[in-house]
Amino acid sequence: MDISGNSENKKFDFNFMLIILSLNLVGLLNLYSASHGVNTVGLSRLFFSQIIWLAMGWSVFLILTFINYNIIKSWATYIYFANLLFLVAVLFVGRTSLGAQRWIDLGFFRFQPSETMKVALILVVAKILTERIRPEGMGIKELIYPLIITLVPFAVTVVQPDLGTSLLYIAVVGTIIFFVKIKKSVLVTAFVAIAITLPIVWKFGLKEYQRNRVLTFISPGRDPRGAGYNSIQSKIAVGSGQIFGKGFKKGTQSQLEFLPERHTDFIFSVLSEEHGFVGSITTIMLFGVLFIIGIRIAQSTKDPYACIVTVGLLSILFWHFFINIGMVMGLLPIVGVPLPLISYGGSSLLTTMASLGIVSSVAYNRSLFQ
Amino acid sequence: MKNENVIYDSETQIMNLSSRFLVLYTFLSLFFFILCFRLWHLQIIQGDVLKVISVKNRVKQKKIISPRGYILDREGRVLVDNNLVSQLTVNLQGLDKQEKEVIAKKVGAILNLTETQIYDRINKSITQNGRYFPAVIADNLTIDEAYALKLLRIEHPLINIEEFIFRSYPYGYSGSQLYGYVSQVSKNQLSNQDVIDKQLQPGDMIGKKGIEKRWDNQIRGKDGLTYVQVDAHGRVTDIEDNILESSNLDPIPPQSGDHVMLTIDLDIQEAATKAFHREDHIGPRMGAMVVLNNKGEVLAWVSEPSFDSNQFLYGISNENWNILMKNPFKPLRNKVIQDNFSPGSTFKPFVGFAALENNVITPTKLLDSPGYFTLGRKKYHNHTKDGHGLVNISTALETSSNVFFYKIAMDLGIEKMAKYARAFGLGSPTGVGIDDEISGLIPDEAWKLKYRKEAWQKGEDLSQSVGQGFINVTPLQMAMAYLAIGNEGELYQPLLVKKILKGSNQKVVLKEFKPQLVRDLSKENAEGFKISPESFAAIKKGLFLVSNGPRGTARRYTVPNVQIAGKTGTAQVRSFNENEIYKSCLNRPVEDRHHGWFIGYAPADVPEITIAVLAMHSCSGSGGAAPLARDVIEAYMRKYHPEKFKNSDEKIVGL
Repeated sequence: MDISGNSENKKFDFNFMLIILSLNLVGLLNLYSASHGVNTVGLSRLFFSQIIWLAMGWSVFLILTFINYNIIKSWATYIYFANLLFLVAVLFVGRTSLGAQRWIDLGFFRFQPSETMKVALILVVAKILTERIRPEGMGIKELIYPLIITLVPFAVTVVQPDLGTSLLYIAVVGTIIFFVKIKKSVLVTAFVAIAITLPIVWKFGLKEYQRNRVLTFISPGRDPRGAGYNSIQSKIAVGSGQIFGKGFKKGTQSQLEFLPERHTDFIFSVLSEEHGFVGSITTIMLFGVLFIIGIRIAQSTKDPYACIVTVGLLSILFWHFFINIGMVMGLLPIVGVPLPLISYGGSSLLTTMASLGIVSSVAYNRSLFQ
Repeated sequence: MKNENVIYDSETQIMNLSSRFLVLYTFLSLFFFILCFRLWHLQIIQGDVLKVISVKNRVKQKKIISPRGYILDREGRVLVDNNLVSQLTVNLQGLDKQEKEVIAKKVGAILNLTETQIYDRINKSITQNGRYFPAVIADNLTIDEAYALKLLRIEHPLINIEEFIFRSYPYGYSGSQLYGYVSQVSKNQLSNQDVIDKQLQPGDMIGKKGIEKRWDNQIRGKDGLTYVQVDAHGRVTDIEDNILESSNLDPIPPQSGDHVMLTIDLDIQEAATKAFHREDHIGPRMGAMVVLNNKGEVLAWVSEPSFDSNQFLYGISNENWNILMKNPFKPLRNKVIQDNFSPGSTFKPFVGFAALENNVITPTKLLDSPGYFTLGRKKYHNHTKDGHGLVNISTALETSSNVFFYKIAMDLGIEKMAKYARAFGLGSPTGVGIDDEISGLIPDEAWKLKYRKEAWQKGEDLSQSVGQGFINVTPLQMAMAYLAIGNEGELYQPLLVKKILKGSNQKVVLKEFKPQLVRDLSKENAEGFKISPESFAAIKKGLFLVSNGPRGTARRYTVPNVQIAGKTGTAQVRSFNENEIYKSCLNRPVEDRHHGWFIGYAPADVPEITIAVLAMHSCSGSGGAAPLARDVIEAYMRKYHPEKFKNSDEKIVGL
């Protein structure tokens, strides 16, 4: 039920906002449960700070909706380089967490450049790809620039080291490249190249803990108290929820702390345990609706850049969504990827709301081209 | 046509892009399908299994230790008790190095333990019980300690303070070898237990010695089981819904162990223990004492030196263990049944029976008893250089004449002496029903040929007749044998356990044990063996004279209005040459002094109480052992026949 925005024939996509809002609420509900258990001390403040993050997130969303995305497009290159600068800076002045340097402490906020880098990449790569759209698809030549642009932050992030995020760069850029279409020969070459480099990276490129994560994923039982613990406990949480779940705040796996990181990366396990198949499928479907509305916005715009950017930003969300849920259900190895809009965390929420704000801006401004 | 550098107009671009949305939707659907399928598989297909695992995760079985049954005396007084104690344990699962250090430091400060001591206890528990059982850091916490530790637990949830019922030995040292003790089941015992009846788990307490061991199955009871909810760190937590409801688990209440009522009389037991610590010129005694009633029920059982059973409860410290092991007089050994001793002169009555029954002598036959007896080139000595003059069997016992018995032994020979000794139960276990009872030894020609590969020597007849040489007995055997003398033939099996009482209700008697007569020596058996009343009379007269005759070796130790009968004995620990033999024994090093025996009964005519006392290294039976028996007989008589003391009490004050 789109409502006419103003005399210039601009339209808010209210459905889009509504679906985002409902996912926010699902997130808050779960965060409340995850942070108000019997044993949880000092977690309850998370609930309130998340509400503040949400307010900030929506402000960003609305501001970006009203800023014409073309302005952002014109800034894309600067945004990219500024972000890259921060990313490099993190290596030197960043705070260490779990052996990796990932953020810069800005006092009220821990700025994580690798998080915003995904958005910056989409903005800048989309710009280049727009000029190279071809019916038969892009060849190697067309791809050189986008690849360089992607591989530089990729390399910096690998050094942090944050392999999960760096692979996400490849995934999101890969998605829009694939969307814009590439030649079959390139596609085949890419697969062959990956097949060859993977064992080499495994042997020489990965650190011990990273190899362990993958091994543990393949066989979680090999170390049930150690590396496989999270994966096993999460599967138990999800599975034991059965059809209707154990009830709000009654998830034993989460309330009794068998579930690690339950307010961030494993928030979906809390949801699945307490609300069962019904609650989980509903949440997944809400995401489904979000993606469909988003793709419809991409479909409806007449601006190819807007189209690619929208698909790209949605792909950021999608990969986070898929990897996170795949991870808590034991389909994918444990990597520290939050569930957008649901997991606790300001950095993730602001970036997500900013991405969605740009998509919203595309929706708001699409009539200009009609 | 090459068009690599061509940039299409936006309409063409959009047209190109819109053809790609189908691919996008296809992939999106595929990925969503994967997620939904996995969700369905986990929650619907595997849901039941994973639900069970989630219950197992948080529901832990918690053992409720069943209280062990009491060990009671014959009047129902508690000899071995239970106490409520607090214990500090630490969960090993989830205990990382850093936390271990912090806990060791903080707990150490509260309990006055060094960090190393705490690490030692943790490591000991790991080797004993593995990592899945919480390690016991300290037992028997005081209220203040327990309170401080409970506060500490808020920050360090891996520590636990648990209260439970635990064994205690209120009488400490008295009767330790008889009652035994409990301690944690060993790894060996765990792996050796019956596969079908796998009741024991690491950390369980089981009886290790004495009654506690012999009756462990009755005393131990059955541990109960309850279920508690724990969080990921092993902390017990409450949650609104009842965890048992959802998991169909019923708690099993513990069944307390059955009580064992002994024949021991606490008053006599205490008197017997006290007797060993009597203050006279010899000082505290070591050795063994067993007190029987006229049916062979054990009223007191002492083995000295003793030990405090309580120190085994929490695993004995190396320090204390070394003290016990280094003590040359072996506190852990139950000397009443576990060690071989030469009976010395207390063996003489049995030689007397053999001589009387085989017509070597008559009850009145007089023999000369000079200072020594010569066989071949060797002199066999009396206790006194001057001898005892003419003695018959009764006065020979009174004076403990060696020469009299040498002379009759010459005529009797080893086989007849051995036969009569065995008839009184010597040389075989009494069957008292505690582990480690030895048989002792009544040697004969066949035995010597078999084990020493030598023929029996005549001189060995002489040694044997005065209870020296190869012969070995236990104090309990001697007590049973003397009981048979006092009873004029009734040889009993010793009885220690009177009743087994139900753990939950002491009034219910599960089993009752009656005295068992082994044989009546005054009645002829299948082999035609029999001891005549005349022989009993002659021997009993001799034993009466020992305590009451003018030359009686124990005449100085009397109880007013009570006639004691008995026999002293002095068993040489090692042989001395002629110059040393009369050297004052008390001047020798303790381990070289003779053992003193006194075995007797009272009243002399119809005995109610029989006592065997072995006072090791006390030099003589008369000075070393007889006074102890006297003390106990007095205690017994004061308890059961107070009327005997009504008139005499004023006179004997200060005795």
